[in-house]
Amino acid sequence: MLSNVNEYFRPKTVEEAYELMQNDRDHSIFLSGGTIVALMESSRIEKIIDLKSLRLDTISVTEGEIVVGATTTIESFRKDPVIRKEFDDFFYDAFSLVGSWQIRNMATIGGSVAPKLGWSDVSTCLLTTGSSLMIYGVDGYQRMLVSDYFALPTGEKPLITHIMLKRDGWVSAFEKFSKTTFDIATVNVGLSIIPERNRIKVARVVCGSRPQYPARFESVETAMVDLEINDVMPAIVRSLVYESFTGGSNMTASFEYRKHLASVLAQRAAEKVKEMIT
Amino acid sequence: MKITLNVNGKLHDIDIDPGEYLLDVLRRIGYKSVRRSCNSASCGTCTVLLNGKPILSCSTFAASVDGQSIETVEGMSDGEKLHPIQEAILEEGGAQCGYCIPGLIMTGEALLRENIDPSDEEIKLALNGNICRCTGYEPQNRAIKKAAQVMRGELDE
Ligand SMILES: Cc1cc2nc3c(=O)[nH]c(=O)nc-3n(C[C@H](O)[C@H](O)[C@H](O)COP(=O)(O)OP(=O)(O)OC[C@H]3O[C@@H](n4cnc5c(N)ncnc54)[C@H](O)[C@@H]3O)c2cc1C
Ligand code: FES
Ligand code: FES
Repeated sequence: MLSNVNEYFRPKTVEEAYELMQNDRDHSIFLSGGTIVALMESSRIEKIIDLKSLRLDTISVTEGEIVVGATTTIESFRKDPVIRKEFDDFFYDAFSLVGSWQIRNMATIGGSVAPKLGWSDVSTCLLTTGSSLMIYGVDGYQRMLVSDYFALPTGEKPLITHIMLKRDGWVSAFEKFSKTTFDIATVNVGLSIIPERNRIKVARVVCGSRPQYPARFESVETAMVDLEINDVMPAIVRSLVYESFTGGSNMTASFEYRKHLASVLAQRAAEKVKEMIT
Repeated sequence: MKITLNVNGKLHDIDIDPGEYLLDVLRRIGYKSVRRSCNSASCGTCTVLLNGKPILSCSTFAASVDGQSIETVEGMSDGEKLHPIQEAILEEGGAQCGYCIPGLIMTGEALLRENIDPSDEEIKLALNGNICRCTGYEPQNRAIKKAAQVMRGELDE
């Protein structure tokens, strides 16, 4: 039990939720799926602000992009017919590797991105698909790329209200290595390309659980431009990731081990993408 | 604070602490099938169904499910008559110490409501989060398959 919690709020609007947080930032916490909050054992938390009452759990299509409410669970998201069709089961397959069925029924898309977790498969996949967030903070509503959200100063704790996705011709694949079937990733890799006349027009290469939060490897992306999509392309991607890997060591894996893993996972992702195109 | 829970079709008005977990509240009001093991969202022993979906009661705040529907294994049997999943677990040797079984049965039940003819792979994926120290999983997977056959009317109870 979070024994110091003495108030539980169910705000009706985003503005109200944010104001409740501003009133006592030191002792308040937003609650979405709760899979992190419930395990916190923190005596600091006195006020829970439950975001589920905002009913931000819908998926809709607006002006050509898919708009996902932040409290949509990972399982509802991956099984949503619009998401499955639009992304050719990229999210359906990738998110089947997130935790267990129970965890996916609880954890939400917003709650996965908000804490800037290093290991989050959700964040890696959203970066891989170039997704954006709608956040509400001191300056009101603001739209930003997931990568820009990760670059915000740690003290800033805006409320994420929506995630926006658009396929725009990208073909994506995801690979993860973990020690047991529902453990968090030792390393995960997402790869997207736009093909043009059997060559790579543009690429996105994302690596997570490095152990820092997921990041794009821009030098790899640049080097992949104009590569022919053939049988040797995946091996080239592997060497590029091996050469450019940035990350570190922790109790799960050393830098060297991660570097090898990331390059092999990138090769596998490139093979998948090649299969999808050819 | 006060919340209302619909547990196995029965309404309960309950006084809770705002930071209390669903697992503790369910046990306090008599649903002792709901068990704690890892207490860190990692074993599935505490699985219950929330609006028909399997979730972990050890890491769900009771306040967050106010007014919603919970199902536990107490609601599965019909008097003396066991549910086909319970029967199949017994017949296939899917329970040894039995500690993990209530959670496993609830996940199995949710799976069969969604998919009455799951493949071996689908059963493994669904039960991935229900850890069992005793059985090695094979008898439990067989039991879910057998219960599905019974529920499809292809096998006598
Ligand atoms: C055993 C276990 C295994 C897991 N395995 C994986 C895995 O393999 N891959 C993977 O990707 N994830 C995995 N996860 C899930 C992941 O680690 C997080 O637990 C989950 O993504 C958090 O989502 P939530 O909705 O439950 O967040 P919550 O616990 O509700 O919130 C998390 C944090 O974000 C804040 N927050 C929540 N929503 C918002 C919002 N809309 N705006 C601003 N702040 C917000 C909260 O205040 C809190 O600080 C696993 C979790 C567990 C417990
Ligand atoms: S006790 Fe809840 S998952 Fe282990
Ligand atoms: S039967 Fe003993 S833990 Fe599963």
